[in-house]
Amino acid sequence: MSTVDATIGWDRLIEHDRVHGSLYTDPAVYEAELERIWYRTWVFVGHVSEVPEPNDYVVKSIGPQPVIMSRDKQGEIHLLLNRCTHRANLVCDAARGNSSAFRCPYHGWTFSNTGRLLGYPFNSGYDGREAKRELGLGRVPRVEIYRGFVFGSFADDGPTLLEHLGDAREALDRLVALSPSGELDLSAGWLQHKVKANWKMLVENETDGYHPQFVHSSIFSVAKSGIGDLYGEESTALSRDLGNGHTENDLRPEFRRIDQPLGWFGTTPDRVPGYVAQLEAANGAEKARELMIDGSPHVMLFPNLFIAEIQLFVIQPLAVDETVQHVTAVQYKGSPDMNRRMLQQTIGSVGPAGFLLADDSEMYERNQRGVHARSPEWVVLKRGTHRERLDENGHVVGDATDEVPQRAIWKHYRSLMEAGS
Amino acid sequence: MSALPLNLDRLLEVQQFVYREARLQDEHDYDGWEALWADDATYWVPANGDAIDPTREMSIIFDNRSRIATRVKQLKTGKRHAQAPPSRTRRVVSNVELLADDGEELLVGANFAVYESRERGLTVWAGRSTYRLRPTGDGLLMAYKKVELVDNDRAIYTLAFLI
Amino acid sequence: MDVGEVVSEFAAVALSIDHDGNGPRLRIEDLKTGHVGYLDALELETLAWLPEGALHPLLDPSLHRWRKPAAGGGTH
Repeated sequence: MSTVDATIGWDRLIEHDRVHGSLYTDPAVYEAELERIWYRTWVFVGHVSEVPEPNDYVVKSIGPQPVIMSRDKQGEIHLLLNRCTHRANLVCDAARGNSSAFRCPYHGWTFSNTGRLLGYPFNSGYDGREAKRELGLGRVPRVEIYRGFVFGSFADDGPTLLEHLGDAREALDRLVALSPSGELDLSAGWLQHKVKANWKMLVENETDGYHPQFVHSSIFSVAKSGIGDLYGEESTALSRDLGNGHTENDLRPEFRRIDQPLGWFGTTPDRVPGYVAQLEAANGAEKARELMIDGSPHVMLFPNLFIAEIQLFVIQPLAVDETVQHVTAVQYKGSPDMNRRMLQQTIGSVGPAGFLLADDSEMYERNQRGVHARSPEWVVLKRGTHRERLDENGHVVGDATDEVPQRAIWKHYRSLMEAGS
Repeated sequence: MSALPLNLDRLLEVQQFVYREARLQDEHDYDGWEALWADDATYWVPANGDAIDPTREMSIIFDNRSRIATRVKQLKTGKRHAQAPPSRTRRVVSNVELLADDGEELLVGANFAVYESRERGLTVWAGRSTYRLRPTGDGLLMAYKKVELVDNDRAIYTLAFLI
Repeated sequence: MDVGEVVSEFAAVALSIDHDGNGPRLRIEDLKTGHVGYLDALELETLAWLPEGALHPLLDPSLHRWRKPAAGGGTH
């Protein structure tokens, strides 16, 4: 039980339409979050296309935990802790590689890429009774893959990945449906963008439809972008609570109203004829047109995977006031003309120098400084409470600029924090 | 790479150009900086190493000339929050070396250290720039600038001032 | 990158460096059957240090190729 449980209580800090500022600044809250969210629930780790070949591996993370994602010779994916079971040295140093075994640089202990301890130097120094079987690399006990997205959970039991994703799994279906081959290729590498802000500032901002016209007005005004209008007072787009802390800005109502294939991506079919032909061949012309109208999802999967149409962000907390956003471009396996455009648009928009994300990041850091001020103590999330409604699937929705997603995130957050106390 | 025969006038011209660019960047003279670029220019800040393929992999910046113009226009709106107010920066550019001269363009290398002060605190940026400079009737123009940050394979803070 | 062929009266293999994965691997193609295997750097270094006779168990023709499938399908 943390000091928060004992002295304050989560119900006092998290109300339906406001939350207490200390949730972003209190190190005890952060420590409790690691145990109850990051080391318990399903967290996105990587994509199968990052380890395409047998014996490929990449160094990943679950919050501050260093994780190796490996593919063994049989093709199975493993999530191993990057910590030698002897004296705790980091086993893998390179960001990626191909090896059937990992050898610790400190004393040469050698592990298979499935985590099994294969042996160590000068074995006469051990009496032969030590159990090699018990000295394999630590592992993330539960690994599940949906549509190529690899998630890990440090909890031995609990909801399955599909139970955790619930209706939000459709976001991954919609994302993959736009790839004519039915597969994504996330091998363009990740930018790592560091901010001095609490991780929840980022999660809340991803599906905040209220900020774009303010935070991003500089780029909208010089780059003829239609994004701003999607998040205006007149927009028919919806903000949605998908359950389990997953949230969405559903822009499809606007795209359907505008009825322009690939309008969601700011382009037209004649600019990417190869992609359009592939999508039509795979789906038929009618379905392909629907896909090109509806576009790619804008969904935040709690707690760390943000699908932002043509980009994927992974949120990694490192301290109560320090967070890294990893971001890469969505690439459809086998669609070079579309991929080239998605990559170049992504490079322009995101990361430390991005036209959009540099300004979001400035807001995160300003928020973090502001929330230390003593009064009024609370962060207000009331926007649109009077016009919330249920959609045909029973999900709470609001207007494009409403704070339905933020309330949904905190509702789920509170349930996780209370469950762990 | 072996040394070129020493052409002092050329070297001084190159040095003055590199120093002028640094001053225009530090003083947020966005128009002055943009005027240094050739019409077909490329401005590249790679990520995850210096030898990646920017047409297939993520970069921190990979601007063609039109995107350089957009970058400058965004800064000039005054609402580019990551640079409103602008960072106070001062940079030291050193080890300026003329690496090659093919008669059309000069290949120039230089190291830099930038001190950036914002509300967050003081951030140090260091790395190496490689330029392709094109002599014209109006002096040198940048046809290409590649900025290799020493920490481009790690998590870095927002980089919205001109690097 | 092609390294070359190693041929004897008993076997013939073509060697190349494969870069399809996250790191380079030696690709070994059995020229008689077309079967392909890979060895990574740590495995190759290990081979360089193999003591005399260490490969003999692996050279047993019935270890993994010319044998009846074991119950349960495993070979070890």
